[in-house]
Amino acid sequence: MVSETEETQLNSLENQVDNGGGGAWEYLCLVRKLKVRRSEKVFKYGLSILNDPKKRSALGPEEWTLYEQVAIAALDCQCLDVTKDCIKVLQKKFPESKRVGRLNGMLLEAKGSWSEAEKAYSSLLEDNSLDQVIHKRRVAMAKAQGNISEAIELLNKYLEIFMADHDAWRELADIYVSLQMYKQAAFCYEELILSQPTVPLYHLAYADVLYTLGGLENLQTAKKYYASTIDLTGGKNTRALFGICLCSSAIAQVSKGRNREDKESPELQSLAATALEKDYKQRAAGKLGLLTSALRSMKF
Amino acid sequence: MVAELKHEISQNAYIKLVLHALKHKTTAVNGVLLGRVNPQNESVVEIIDSVPLFHSNLALLPPLEIALIMIEEHYGSKGLGIVGYFHANERFDDAELGIVAKNIGDHICRYFPQAAVFLLDNKKLEALPKGKDQSPVMQLYIRDASKNWKLAGPDGGSRLVIKEPAANVVLSDYISSEKWQDVVDFDDHLDDIKMDWLNPELFK
Repeated sequence: MVSETEETQLNSLENQVDNGGGGAWEYLCLVRKLKVRRSEKVFKYGLSILNDPKKRSALGPEEWTLYEQVAIAALDCQCLDVTKDCIKVLQKKFPESKRVGRLNGMLLEAKGSWSEAEKAYSSLLEDNSLDQVIHKRRVAMAKAQGNISEAIELLNKYLEIFMADHDAWRELADIYVSLQMYKQAAFCYEELILSQPTVPLYHLAYADVLYTLGGLENLQTAKKYYASTIDLTGGKNTRALFGICLCSSAIAQVSKGRNREDKESPELQSLAATALEKDYKQRAAGKLGLLTSALRSMKF
Repeated sequence: MVAELKHEISQNAYIKLVLHALKHKTTAVNGVLLGRVNPQNESVVEIIDSVPLFHSNLALLPPLEIALIMIEEHYGSKGLGIVGYFHANERFDDAELGIVAKNIGDHICRYFPQAAVFLLDNKKLEALPKGKDQSPVMQLYIRDASKNWKLAGPDGGSRLVIKEPAANVVLSDYISSEKWQDVVDFDDHLDDIKMDWLNPELFK
């Protein structure tokens, strides 16, 4: 998961490399560090370094990391021959390596040889049953074959052991949402918020899921989490601001004619609306009219 | 009542949605289609424009509700409404109309009963540059009398045509020049409101 500053840094570095300004190695390192998926660029720039003997030797021991990075990017770009070549080089340097064995497994996956890949991964797991990457590859394979229920089962088993793996919780939440299993998705976000309470993305996602579930209690809780998102992002999160307006409107709808013990204070909604209008006026003036009508239609 | 309609989609509306799917190859994407019933011919639905919606968490309501309110507001003033829904599945070999697509389709039918759902046909899209096929790389789904979504058969009944016959040639061209990078969707807008989901400069 990448912060806004990190993403800006990455994009400007990418632009620099794209426009011939150099910095390819820094770019590749940053992509690795942030664990983002920019396979076409990694493939292009990584391969050009590897194909240049001078540049390659300048990397020293990092050369092998680059081979691995390019091998994986090549898989994503369906250039399997390049992957095979990279694996050959790595196998020569590190015979008996489990890490190279994993790459072989991924190559089999890319070819669609699912059962062979499964065999490769199983045998690697025999020697090290706690290899997180391989466990996750199996989830990915289930997903790739459209076997979503198996992916969910494997992912749940994985999380019983590696419950601190936030990416895995997020992946599971994503899968649940795509199947409209919102309660289960909510549970995943609850785990994430518990372990990382200051990450606004989880508050926002949780609020979105609760709103989607609906019902007065969920809407009221969603509103609280949109509010905490706004708090954690210094009021700059457009989605959370909209979320407040949607919640206020939906709560008013649901509690029409009911005896409301705690009257919904309209302040939060008007604050959010004002913040949105101010932002649109500054940065998206052409859409301000649409925004105003939209907000009006959400008022009660 | 099942109306047998011709859905005629404009080149720009068509290309925009396919490019959007190509921009986000690793996730499902969706979009809405804007248009109206042809005032001279009730059995034709004219699809004049499209708005790419999301490339993540398609099944969450808040962003969808905001998008629909703003989109309806904008196009309503031009006499157009939401007449259809486009969906592209996450996986290449998934050719099924999933539950999310059906639910959003149902929602749109509440406002426009003759609304159709369009599912990206990945195999047709893949074959595009190699062939001379002028037919759209989308499958048309229509709701039957029991409100179930059914694939419209090639043998008559409801059908989807592209208004401009050379649209696939233009599309193939854009694909080679990687034009998809310029497509902005509602997700992009919510992340940065400076991004315009109307894509006014896309085809200039």
